[in-house]
Amino acid sequence: MKIVMIYDQIQSGLGTKDDQMVPLTGKKGPIGPAVMMEPYLAQTEGHVEACLCCGSGTFLADPGEVSRKLCAMVNKLKPDVVMCGPAFNYQDYAAMCAKVALDIHRSTDVKAFAAMSEENEEIIKAYKAQVVIVRTPKKGGPGLNSALKNMCDMAKALAQGDDISGFKDRFCF
Amino acid sequence: MLKKLESVLMPLAEKIGKNKYLIAVRDGFLLSMPLLIVGSFFLLIANFPIPGWTHFWARFFGDGWTSYFSKPTDATFSIMAVLAVVGIGYSFSEQMHVDKLFGAAISMVCWFLIMPYKILTEGSSVSGIPLNWVGSKGIFVGIIVAFLSVHIYAWVNKKGWVIRMPDGVPPTVAKSFSALIPAGVAVLVFFIINIVFAMTTYGDAFTFIFTILQTPLLRLGNTLPAMVIAYIFLHLFWFFGVNGGSVVGAVFNPILQTLSAGNLAALQAGQPLPNIISQQFQDLFATFGGCGSTLSLLIAMLLFCRSKRVKELGKLALIPGVFGINEPLVFGLPIVLNPMVLIPFMLVPTVNIVISYICMSIGLVPLCSGYAIPWTMPVIISGFLATGWQGAVLQFLLLILGVFLYMPFIKMMDRQYLADEAKGDDDKDGDDIDFDDLSFDDL
Repeated sequence: MKIVMIYDQIQSGLGTKDDQMVPLTGKKGPIGPAVMMEPYLAQTEGHVEACLCCGSGTFLADPGEVSRKLCAMVNKLKPDVVMCGPAFNYQDYAAMCAKVALDIHRSTDVKAFAAMSEENEEIIKAYKAQVVIVRTPKKGGPGLNSALKNMCDMAKALAQGDDISGFKDRFCF
Repeated sequence: MLKKLESVLMPLAEKIGKNKYLIAVRDGFLLSMPLLIVGSFFLLIANFPIPGWTHFWARFFGDGWTSYFSKPTDATFSIMAVLAVVGIGYSFSEQMHVDKLFGAAISMVCWFLIMPYKILTEGSSVSGIPLNWVGSKGIFVGIIVAFLSVHIYAWVNKKGWVIRMPDGVPPTVAKSFSALIPAGVAVLVFFIINIVFAMTTYGDAFTFIFTILQTPLLRLGNTLPAMVIAYIFLHLFWFFGVNGGSVVGAVFNPILQTLSAGNLAALQAGQPLPNIISQQFQDLFATFGGCGSTLSLLIAMLLFCRSKRVKELGKLALIPGVFGINEPLVFGLPIVLNPMVLIPFMLVPTVNIVISYICMSIGLVPLCSGYAIPWTMPVIISGFLATGWQGAVLQFLLLILGVFLYMPFIKMMDRQYLADEAKGDDDKDGDDIDFDDLSFDDL
């Protein structure tokens, strides 16, 4: 299973909270949370091909254009599934995850889902009918591991075209 | 196995992290921390750990020069329970959603209410606030009183038994009137408590709590097993990505700080220091460079590892590591959820604690004097300031021992990273993905 991750500047390690204008870029291979996911990825025979990253400010400046470019890159890389997140309680990043996951779903043949914490109430409310959103904790700590595992399980189920209604009840919004 | 451990530890960490009493104690003590460090600074000048220091300066400034320097200490350490009560009352009021300033004030008043205003001098007694009880000996009573009085304050508030002022009255005036009845009820309750304790053989609540609770708890905290167990838990929490220091510290730090204050009081009085385990013992001898004593790990990384990933991280983490900050290592190496470093991560601090404890109990190294030395003070300097040159030597030796304990484990990781990097170099056609490569058709 080939996976592509979508990160903001913080999760990709390219910047801090204040470096919002990191331009759209990408790295081959796993970085950020994908590294922590490795044991669960191994269980699901997943492999992170690439991580696409963009500062949250860069996204907010022109969501449509950034999302279009991300979709085009996803289309070019042709992964089995795209994980947008984990966005935790970072609101701007969560908004990016939800929109990009929806756009990938609409404009490509690739499966995609988002992951964030319940603090992003409005985004979850606006998108949960159209996008699969996996529940994560607010930050690291309690529940982080199971959330990462859930993301891998969801990726596998989506990639294989399995029925995801059980997963949706258990760990999605 | 790890999964089982996680399922036990995580809910525990969450419970401790969300417990409002523990949060209040933890945050409340923070009020006194900067003041105690400032107080320590003056005391340290007066008692610098070099033999003959005091006498040397006495030649220039006269014999009594140190008494001026102990004044800032008297104003901070000797009244640290006052700061603790106010701090805990304040932060607990925040947890209980009542006015913080009044909560702190009510806590302090109730605490003074049950304190015996009696100073014993050679058989007779005079009236006055006893320094005895406003120092470290009064801390545990202070914690209990702050909780109880703020609870009463919040309870009366919730019942709605408050005087409300019409609109147009300035908010500060309205606030002070609305605190009137809750404060009155709290004072009444402690008024009764004071009378009840006066009828017992203890005579007052301070003596009662000190004998029944504080002394046994401190005795328990001042043992090697207690310290080792606390630190094993602390590191397990870190392993699962939870700040172990703040979880375990919420329970353990009040005890450690009281033990430290006991040492400092003895130092000022010129008596032998009573406690081996104390806040400084934990901060300065259990770990160097942050949890897991990772300064040793850092040295091992820089000296013995060859993979780019480990070396670069080592360079990056060195400066913060010297000052006891090791988040780059904890999350970058990573140590969190990395079973390969779990063993030395827990072993090195344990070894440090055991060896330091033995050295101090057989008299090789003097006990920590109780100066509040910030945990960010670099190793060797901190040991020197806390105990004298013997402490600096002990720290240095433990640091080196830690390097060798970490070495086999980090080398194992290093070999794996090296192999990864060699493989990565082979199929490398540029690591970056360039969005400029997207053609118009792709979009």
